[in-house]
Amino acid sequence: MTGRVWALVARRDFWVRLRERSFIVSTLINLIVISILIVLRALSGGGTPGFELAVVGTSAVADRVAASADAFGMRLALAPYEDAGAARDALAAGEVDAVLEGETLTGLHAVAPQLTQAVQAAAVSLRIERRIEALGGGPEDVAFVGNAQPVAVGVLSPGAPDSEANAGIAFIVVILLYGQLFGYGVWVASGVIEEKASRVVELLLATIRARQLMAGKILGIGVLGLLQLTFIASFAIGLGLVTGAIELPASAVAAAAIAIGYFILGFAFYASLFAVAGSLVTRMEELQNALVPINLFIFVSFFISIGALADPDGTLVTVASVLPGSSALAMPVRIVLGAATPTQIVLSLVLSIGATAALIPASGRLYAGAVLRTGARVKLRDAWRAAA
Amino acid sequence: MLELIDLHRRFGETVALDGVTFSVPEGAVVGFVGRNGAGKTTAMRIALGVLAADAGEVRWRGAPVDLAVRRRFGYMPEERGLYPRMRVLEQLVYLGRLHGMTPAHAEERATALIDRLQVVGDPGSRVESLSLGNQQRIQLAAALVHEPDVLVLDEPFSGLDPTGVDVLAQVLLDEARTRGVPVVFSSHQLELVERLCDAVVLIDRGRVVADGPIAALRASRARRLLRVEVRGADADWYEALPGVRLDAAVDGAVVLELDDEADPQRVLDLARAQGDVRAFTPVEPTLAQLFREVVDEGVTA
Repeated sequence: MTGRVWALVARRDFWVRLRERSFIVSTLINLIVISILIVLRALSGGGTPGFELAVVGTSAVADRVAASADAFGMRLALAPYEDAGAARDALAAGEVDAVLEGETLTGLHAVAPQLTQAVQAAAVSLRIERRIEALGGGPEDVAFVGNAQPVAVGVLSPGAPDSEANAGIAFIVVILLYGQLFGYGVWVASGVIEEKASRVVELLLATIRARQLMAGKILGIGVLGLLQLTFIASFAIGLGLVTGAIELPASAVAAAAIAIGYFILGFAFYASLFAVAGSLVTRMEELQNALVPINLFIFVSFFISIGALADPDGTLVTVASVLPGSSALAMPVRIVLGAATPTQIVLSLVLSIGATAALIPASGRLYAGAVLRTGARVKLRDAWRAAA
Repeated sequence: MLELIDLHRRFGETVALDGVTFSVPEGAVVGFVGRNGAGKTTAMRIALGVLAADAGEVRWRGAPVDLAVRRRFGYMPEERGLYPRMRVLEQLVYLGRLHGMTPAHAEERATALIDRLQVVGDPGSRVESLSLGNQQRIQLAAALVHEPDVLVLDEPFSGLDPTGVDVLAQVLLDEARTRGVPVVFSSHQLELVERLCDAVVLIDRGRVVADGPIAALRASRARRLLRVEVRGADADWYEALPGVRLDAAVDGAVVLELDDEADPQRVLDLARAQGDVRAFTPVEPTLAQLFREVVDEGVTA
């Protein structure tokens, strides 16, 4: 039975917080912020523009435009209409972006240049093909002249593919991770204080070990943080696909997986420190002071990681992405930007797991030594000795 | 039997416990009495493992107490503690489960206790929304929910109204008499201790100064006091008697203290010779008087 006690503690901490208004509010705020970022990105043309083209009757031009939409960097949907009047009504109502009737392209106030170019090119190539056929040319002549890409395009030094899109994803990842690590860490600390301030901790510790209580609390709150992060990431990817802000679903899913993985690592590293900070004080008002060193460390890591968006290979960023604690924020950014080498990634994992393994027993001892002491703030040295 | 054996504990320079030894037999209710700061709470916290002793041992049924055994103890800390924002029933079920109960059993017990302790309020409401007296009853329910083998209660009666005191007293007696649980509780309400307890443990400055059934304590410790009222006698009529001293004079009567050689029959003879004897009764000291006496002895010793 004793082995399951921490699971009971974890379950309580999970369910109690799931029903808290602050949890629901923080989830909503996260969703709103993410939605704003994604919609802004879709509006700023970060994604592929899409057009709806009304086609009156049958049109060879329309079919050709549809076939070449990718080459023009756009998505195109054709809407067939029998009657020109109905098509114009749809245009006036904003249901379609333009109407194509024979060789006439009509927009409401203007026609998007991309669409115009694509329609003109399609019409031109059709005319050329017909003229070649009329002059007695065979299919091979048509294919030779009609080749849409006669010029081979290459680059001298290939950059990371879709680097701009990835910077956007990396930005969202680092904001989310910072919010989750910090927010859920504070929840651990204030959960410890709640038990200390209400004195229920004395009742609990007559039944279970201090370390079981600490482990259960961290686990319960951590799982809640993980589920919230997964929910938000799924929402973000879904919204990104619908609005067209995300062009490559695979890389977005990979980024979400990296964020979730580093949340687990980072939370494991920070949570026991937050628990110790909470155990040192008795009143919520004192918590801010007790948290200063941890807050400072997380904030500096966050700041460096934001810097990584512009320069993912800088020395400071590279070091921060390997060191335990700061790696939870800096490494996912560098991975998403394609800057991290496999060696660096492995090193960051090994150091983070190793540091956490060393930290948890020490934190457990400090927590056990401090959590029953009420009144003045407990000194770390006293807490360490008390639990000897 | 719950045994506390030679417990020592210091806090810095302060000696809180200086060799505390006493035991609580199964089925007995024992009162733990002493001034503020005498060491009651420290001893109880050590018994529950919330605090470590510098030296000494706590044994239950002859074996040293470990965490598995302590999970069968029921405890009410001096500083009350429950999750203020957790719902009453949910909280009791949670605490029961920490003690190893199944959810169904814990809920059944918790519901029965809420009823038995006459808690006024919705079991689905948050603890913080209840009155202090009702919170106190929930606190007691928290100590009882897992049908403990041992009950250790620090000041369980403080803050209860007279009805609450009666309900709690009855519950403690039931636990001891019908389930054979050893019950030890501290209290400053000495009349209550006298009424409820089979034995008392008096603690002063970290040492047990008296221990045993109240009657035995009275017999061994008490001064022999006689209240005598004689009409028509001189004010100092008793002075001729050897080994007799005036303790107090009240409303025409005198309370005389007799030392070991003095014979109460000779006091009566003299009194009758002096005048009309209206009252002649031995004075039983209350527990409060015994307590003061023992503590004063300790101060002068």
